[in-house]
Amino acid sequence: MARFLLKRLGLATITLFLLTVIVFFASQVLPGNVGRRILGPFADQRAVDSLNHQLGTDKPLLTQYWDWISDFFRGDLGYSLAYNVPVSSLLGNALTHSLKLAAFAFVLVVPLAILGGVVAALKRDRLTDRAITLTGLSLSVVPEFVTGILLILVFGLWLDVLPVSANAPDGSSVLTQMRYLLLPALTLVILLFGYIARITRAGTIESLDAEYTRTAFLKGLPRRTVIRRHVLRNSLLPTIAVVATQTGYLIGGLVVIETLFNYPGMGRLIFTAANQKDFPLLESAVLIVGIGFLIATLLADIAYSLLNPRIRYSAAE
Amino acid sequence: MDETQRRVDEIRKESTELENHIIDQFIEGKLTRRDFVRRGTVVGMSIPLLSFIAAACGGGNETAGTTGAGTATGNVKPGGNVRVALLQPATAPNPVIVKDEGGAGLIGSTGEFLSFSNEKLELEPRLAEEWSPNDDGTEWTFKIRQGVKYHSGATMTANDVKNVFDTLSDPNNASNALSALGGVLSPGNTEVVDDATVVFHLDAPNGNFPTLVSSSNYNAIIFPANIDPADWGKTFDGTGPFKLEKFTPKVGATFVRFDGYWGEKANPDGMELKLYDTEAPMVNGIKGGEVDFVEHFSVSGGKALLDDPSVVVSAIRTSTHRQLHMRTDKDPFTDKRVRQAIALTLDRPALVDGLWEGKADLGNDNPFAPVYPSTDTSVAQREQDLDMAKQLLSDAGKSNFTVDLNTWNGFEIPDLAQLIKQYASEIGVTINLKITDPTTYYGDAVFGKSPWLDSVMGITDYGHRPVPNVFLTSVYASKGTWNAAHFKNATADQLIAEYIGALDLDSQRAAAKKLQELLLDETPVSIPYFYNFLSASTPKLKNAVSAATGQFDLSKAGFTS
Repeated sequence: MARFLLKRLGLATITLFLLTVIVFFASQVLPGNVGRRILGPFADQRAVDSLNHQLGTDKPLLTQYWDWISDFFRGDLGYSLAYNVPVSSLLGNALTHSLKLAAFAFVLVVPLAILGGVVAALKRDRLTDRAITLTGLSLSVVPEFVTGILLILVFGLWLDVLPVSANAPDGSSVLTQMRYLLLPALTLVILLFGYIARITRAGTIESLDAEYTRTAFLKGLPRRTVIRRHVLRNSLLPTIAVVATQTGYLIGGLVVIETLFNYPGMGRLIFTAANQKDFPLLESAVLIVGIGFLIATLLADIAYSLLNPRIRYSAAE
Repeated sequence: MDETQRRVDEIRKESTELENHIIDQFIEGKLTRRDFVRRGTVVGMSIPLLSFIAAACGGGNETAGTTGAGTATGNVKPGGNVRVALLQPATAPNPVIVKDEGGAGLIGSTGEFLSFSNEKLELEPRLAEEWSPNDDGTEWTFKIRQGVKYHSGATMTANDVKNVFDTLSDPNNASNALSALGGVLSPGNTEVVDDATVVFHLDAPNGNFPTLVSSSNYNAIIFPANIDPADWGKTFDGTGPFKLEKFTPKVGATFVRFDGYWGEKANPDGMELKLYDTEAPMVNGIKGGEVDFVEHFSVSGGKALLDDPSVVVSAIRTSTHRQLHMRTDKDPFTDKRVRQAIALTLDRPALVDGLWEGKADLGNDNPFAPVYPSTDTSVAQREQDLDMAKQLLSDAGKSNFTVDLNTWNGFEIPDLAQLIKQYASEIGVTINLKITDPTTYYGDAVFGKSPWLDSVMGITDYGHRPVPNVFLTSVYASKGTWNAAHFKNATADQLIAEYIGALDLDSQRAAAKKLQELLLDETPVSIPYFYNFLSASTPKLKNAVSAATGQFDLSKAGFTS
């Protein structure tokens, strides 16, 4: 296990480094320079040049990248070019918000989708299966801004039972925060349920059809025991992988939902940083999301090996 | 002699020649009461004084100004917290670099200006008590209010005023105010005569200078000279009726009443600014009861508010507009008849009704918006005339050509572009639309590196200015940095200088009339409309004022229940 972890850490470091290089140079392709982005199209060119000089964005690109990455390794994430505050303060706030929403959405969608997928598999080709599969598929193809707007209209405006924005006032209790997060979390549940449920269904069907499952039944084990002890631990393997890959999206990809619900999460922060060519903020934010994604996939791999001894033994070899 | 008349005579004896000239114009009926008050405030006369003279002299015609002037004055309860929806600023709250409504609203929440340009385009004295020009308008003397305290406890001084304007006028300071002050005021030309007097020595005569240092120049808040503008956002130290309680970038800010304010204490206990990236959640916010006041929304983004009886919408006439530029130095627009033809295809009333639900003034292909007192309203309004358009094209030998139109995908601009394309097709002109994001359209915003400034035809948005000076010098002057039409006309340059240097309204209107007629003839740019600035409030909130430049004034606001 230690070797496995070290190997993953090494690969993660290389991945993250490449990520910073790609993001930095890709953002340079966007038109305009930082000073112009900050001051706007109608600002005097002398002001733009002055600001670029103040911010150091008139230096050669490699110099700018080297300055940033050397500071990063010293633990200094730098200052946001647009907002002139430490990147760490902006990131900390946005990440906290994103993690809250992601956690809440996960707690709702994962058990629900797994239950739905397992039930659909157990009732394969019957009405229950069709209903769950069709509903999940239909809901997942509806864009999140449509779902979000509908939920806001129904629950926020017509029925007036839930807030229309997701950011609870400072000092709100956990329950109040959950109430504010309920609509965006439900939007995510609707979006992700179908996908996770289908993967779970496929994995469960595969396990149900496996020889070891037939053997278990032939041994006389009760159905419930077979499903719990033999089917589920194998059927959830692909589901774990899918859930892990959704982590990156849930932490840093919710631009539309965050904008619709005026929620100050990582998605909006990254989008704004990219738009403004605010590369200290952009790089650090993307790194955080990347780290989150890598941690999630690492945990998924560990869970995989715990659930499936064959993977554990081959890793040991 | 009647006591009122005696007082008017006394006032006139103490007034300058320029001030008396304005009074004469009003008495002679050349100025409406509204224009009299507006123009009077620009040259430094106080609103109470102007109102007294207007009532005493009884001259002038009343005309409609704003269509719904803010939220109606009413009896309000003391206290309360007003929640405001504001668009996200794109930068830190650094007074020198702030560039958008969100930033202007944020820094204007605690900062004050020498004067406040209100929704009626009047200048209300704030940190300056009065101001006046010299004979030729090359110097403006401002009397600085004494005994004003910052929220930090320090006292505002004339030196702070000098420091602000030296900073804003210096090209080395990344100042966003250079677009307004460039060519008007140079660094070092703000003189502190004594603790109560500051004199601005201008680069050239300027009859509208006080407006350029008012709240309409939203970078011009007065702050302590010992504060680095880059650090101002840590404390928001200003002189306004509210002081900062807490600011969280990209989220919002809370403010509380400042009990040491020099003027009438604010009625609300405080206000909370919530920052939004887009209009949709702002609209939901007021409909869902999470905010009391939406500082600004557009017709395209806020239709749900226009039709909602539970929301009070206020519309202010402004000079905000879209410009359709046609490059005068590139085919097919080198011939002015072709430019006129395109302009003649536009059905302006239909555009106003269709795109703005009637909440806009007709544009007449020049930047003199109907809301300006200096606009000459005798210049004939251009109307759609397809037959004349076809004739002009035929005379110019340019029938049935194709041209690209560049613009960006915001607000109603894509719809406007589509309609222009449709109108042009009726005279045989094919327009190919190239609609991109704003970053691509504006590019580096310099000639040679910007579709905005390099395209043969394009649509650009311009925000409100209480006077047309910046539009004239930047868009229409031969060396203008925003001159997308590449319009070079010596007569226009001369008239622009004449207008800017004119101190009295008569002279301004005379120059404006010639300019309006010249621009109508040359048509380097077509301006189809000037649209209203819309803000919204809940019915219980009264006296919330928006100023069409991003600032708002909630000091007298309150709730009726």
